[in-house]
Amino acid sequence: MGLTSPLIKRAALFSVAGLFVLAPGALFVGAAHAANYNPTETSRRDAGTPNSTIVIKNKAGTVIEYGNKYILYNAPPSKLDNLGKALFMENCASCHGTQADGIPANGTVGAYPDLVGLGPATVDFWVVSGRMPSANPRVVEASRRQPRLTPNQALAIAAWVNSLAPSIPLIPTPNLANANVSDGAALFALNCASCHTIEGDGDALAASTFSPSLRNIPAYQVVEAIRTGPANMPRFTGNLSDQQVLDVTKYVTTEIQHPNNPGGFGLGGLGPVAEGFVGLLLGVGVLVLVCYWIGERE
Amino acid sequence: MSEVTLTNKRAKRRAAGPYGKVGKALNELDDRLGVAKGGRTFMDKIFPDHWSFMLGEIALYSFVILLATGIFLTFYFIPSSAIVTYHGSYLPLVGQKVTQAFSSTVDISFAVRGGLLMRQMHHWACDIFVGALVVHMARVFFTGAFRKPRELNWTIGVTLLTLAIGNGFLGYSLPDDLVSGTGIRIAYSIMLSIPFVGTYLAFFIFGGNFPGASTIPRFYILHCLILPLVIMGLVGAHLFLLVRQKHTQFPGEGRTEKNVVGSPMFPVFMAKTTGFLFIVTGFTALLSAFAQINPIWQFGPYDASRISYAVQPDWYMGFLDGALRIWPSWTFHSFGHTIPFEVLLPAVVLPGLIFGLAYAWPMLERLYTKDNEIHHLLDRPSQRPKRTAVGVAALAFVTMLFIASSTDVIANFFHISLNTVLWLMRITTILVPLVAYPIAYKICKEMQGVHGAGKRKTPNIVSRTVEGEYLATPTPAYHDDLGHDLAATVVPTFIESEPDDTDEGGVRIVDR
Amino acid sequence: MSEPEEHRTPVSLSGLSENDPHLLPAAKNPKTVELVIAINFLLGTVLTAGFGACYWINAQPWKLGATLGGGLFFFGVGLVAWGKYLMPRGPFVEERHVLANSEADRDAFAAAIVERGGAVMKRRKMLGGILAGGLGIFGVVAMFPVLRSLGPLPKGTLFHTDWRKDSYVVDQSGRRVSAGDLAVGSIMTVFPEGTQDSERGQAVDQTVLIRVSNQKFTTQKGRESWAPLGYVAYSKLCTHLGCPVGLYEQQLQLLVCPCHQSMFNVNNGAVPQFGPAPRPLPQLPLYIDSQGFLRAQADYDQPVGPGFWERA
Repeated sequence: MGLTSPLIKRAALFSVAGLFVLAPGALFVGAAHAANYNPTETSRRDAGTPNSTIVIKNKAGTVIEYGNKYILYNAPPSKLDNLGKALFMENCASCHGTQADGIPANGTVGAYPDLVGLGPATVDFWVVSGRMPSANPRVVEASRRQPRLTPNQALAIAAWVNSLAPSIPLIPTPNLANANVSDGAALFALNCASCHTIEGDGDALAASTFSPSLRNIPAYQVVEAIRTGPANMPRFTGNLSDQQVLDVTKYVTTEIQHPNNPGGFGLGGLGPVAEGFVGLLLGVGVLVLVCYWIGERE
Repeated sequence: MSEVTLTNKRAKRRAAGPYGKVGKALNELDDRLGVAKGGRTFMDKIFPDHWSFMLGEIALYSFVILLATGIFLTFYFIPSSAIVTYHGSYLPLVGQKVTQAFSSTVDISFAVRGGLLMRQMHHWACDIFVGALVVHMARVFFTGAFRKPRELNWTIGVTLLTLAIGNGFLGYSLPDDLVSGTGIRIAYSIMLSIPFVGTYLAFFIFGGNFPGASTIPRFYILHCLILPLVIMGLVGAHLFLLVRQKHTQFPGEGRTEKNVVGSPMFPVFMAKTTGFLFIVTGFTALLSAFAQINPIWQFGPYDASRISYAVQPDWYMGFLDGALRIWPSWTFHSFGHTIPFEVLLPAVVLPGLIFGLAYAWPMLERLYTKDNEIHHLLDRPSQRPKRTAVGVAALAFVTMLFIASSTDVIANFFHISLNTVLWLMRITTILVPLVAYPIAYKICKEMQGVHGAGKRKTPNIVSRTVEGEYLATPTPAYHDDLGHDLAATVVPTFIESEPDDTDEGGVRIVDR
Repeated sequence: MSEPEEHRTPVSLSGLSENDPHLLPAAKNPKTVELVIAINFLLGTVLTAGFGACYWINAQPWKLGATLGGGLFFFGVGLVAWGKYLMPRGPFVEERHVLANSEADRDAFAAAIVERGGAVMKRRKMLGGILAGGLGIFGVVAMFPVLRSLGPLPKGTLFHTDWRKDSYVVDQSGRRVSAGDLAVGSIMTVFPEGTQDSERGQAVDQTVLIRVSNQKFTTQKGRESWAPLGYVAYSKLCTHLGCPVGLYEQQLQLLVCPCHQSMFNVNNGAVPQFGPAPRPLPQLPLYIDSQGFLRAQADYDQPVGPGFWERA
């Protein structure tokens, strides 16, 4: 009856408004990606071996173990080299090339990262966290997914890539018993919270990049990420000692992953946003409903 | 009960006068203060029964909770920014250098018995307090309850809202944790942005360059003494004016500009409102039992060089944060001076305009409508499409600013570019209110066109004729005690048809 | 629900007979409602007593909240139900009295003020003028102690940091930073030596030190020597509202402010690329001394942090 035509008008108004909103947005996304993303940027060949008291070399003179009582770094066993090569050819070579130098068979130089000399920890982290092999290599930033390869397979690939040109950082084994969780909390607030949030939930950063949640990541991968700086994460080498990295790792794997919530449900760590929603919708909402019960309605 | 005891009781009562001990006590009181007449009038004061009149009480009782829990917290909180080494029961902080304010707040949460519950109740009650103020204010606005003679009470109400928001921010800042410290830093920079006096204002309020040693003690005395006193005084004035001018009411049977219809203060309203006080308090305690709020031990102490991503202020400051996020980077550098428009406009001028408009609205509406009459009967929102549309647009605008304060959360949730979300918010914050106004206006107009819209519906009689045709007939006209024809308010809810009086052979599904 | 008898005329409270229908309870089955209310009150009693017990044994906070909240909630529901269903259902009416007084009363009030006051003022204009002027001056003077005692004058404090020529660059623990410490793509927060533990150091002097790849870095005019070996230092205070700009994205080469998401281009003089920040982050000129330590060439060449009126 009288309501139909305004309804149509309203719907039309909404769609026009929607177009106005979406079109510039879409344009902007495209522009931002084109301007900022450069997948060939690799600049991680100069990792150090900070504060190492233990250094063990093999017969060829290559460092296969270094570290201290806080974190021990081991080279992946060379017996995995052959397995790693096979896995690499099957899963990685189509982009990174058969020599892991970032030059695939069709010969596009510089289209994909060169993996030689990045250190086993880098290769291991990307594969074991499910970021590689990537289903869509053109996305701005690979995100953590269900890994396609097992931890042992990831280690094998790291072993083979490392055999091409032995390099560091090696695969870390943190000794959490020697960690100081309080120092870790302070270091986390200074170095990590600005991206991952103080509760470690991760969030949307510039353009289409995201800081991942830290709620479900094993200790050695925390060390790998800190020491290698995957994707947009800065890498922490000389500015954090192994002891400090261990402290942060302990804080992440205890308080961040198992937060102390004596006050009830943690509301997803979103802070005042979630609190505002609960306070308004649940708090005020329920009390307004109580008003509705108490009073007369007409 | 035996006859003897009854007789004894009656005898005793007779001896004490017809109203017993209470009567005697009241006599004594009246001898001294002369309260009998006023007291009787107060007991007989009529409160309208409509549910929307209870919304202000949510705010009032949240404020009562704030006072009670706040007093508890003052016994344990130390308002000092002196640095101490934390040695409490929360391990990740042990050995860290923190302020006494932070340390004592952590102790309230972990060491003081019942302390965490009180802290959480205080914080939840604050979130609810400001929310209830807004809802109450919306009711007053959309029904025109602010009109003459109640402009002064509207002004007091808007002042209460600003004070509540301000005091909420001060209280949120007191624990000196990482998240609230960042909020203070932003407040300081907003003060700096004011031309001519900004730097002086900021230095005087903070006692020097940021962070300033006086911040916590000053915020404490403002938060716990000065602003609560002002708020209490204004709440008292608000209620005094309410009693003096009596309640507004919705139009209805027997309701005129010259009376108030509802339930008396004693005992009906007293029972309901005391019960509601218990419900608000109980519900706040339940919320505090199961939903954690502001876990400052996870945030850690404030240090001006540390920061967490995704920090937001409490919800009632969200619109300011949102405005700061989406405002373009306009600034003014010239003649040896800087005017930071990118801060001044969204954080000083914009809230000034929003609250200025709220203060001025009764006057603006009177100028526009030339209506200087006294109004005690309320409007239905649909009866005043322009006012309703302005209110809806204003609420939509502030809501969009509020949503803009969580651009990062939106981008993360939908996994889209943060930059895109920011641009979307810039556009929609302007667009949504512009769209909301005509839609609200149109809906009001449509509702005016629907007979009896917004009134209570009465049932139809559904019947079937001999031919098998179904008919829905409005309930036959009936009259109330005064002889008003109530059929005038009957709304056809099914199909419109003439009453069918040949019902022999027809099946009556509902018969009255 | 809409029984005709629900539409009762409102009556005045005074002079109601005891069996007036307005005084009947609203409930159809008062006995049942009474039972429900009694159950509510009993639950309230049990739970609030439980609150006492929980408090006594120092139970977890949620148990305190659940017993206290639940108890009060049940008491409240019972009380409201008592008032709503068992007390006189009304509706009652109260007459509204006109607040405004008669014309004569108003005139008398106005006359009292205008005529008496006018008479006094007319005769002693000078006295009134002096008093008004004097009190006005006192009002202004009274503002001085009220305001001036609150804090120091800003003077030059907003224009300078504690960075000086040859200041050593140290991290938050006070360790001097040397040229080998950072790899390309690394970031750290640094301070001039000696201020890393002070509040002012943290609030004003904080600086981000980033090592960038020389091939990507665009040197600004006049700043050719400021970033030795790719070590570039910017003030950590956002030029928007002074939040620490600690969010570094090493592939995008952006410094992002975690508060309002202003984005600064690290490779290009930290000019704001997106968001509300109006100015680039000020850059600290660095050099590497003969022992390999990073040191400042001078203080920042402009005020750090958000804008203010006196800033040029």
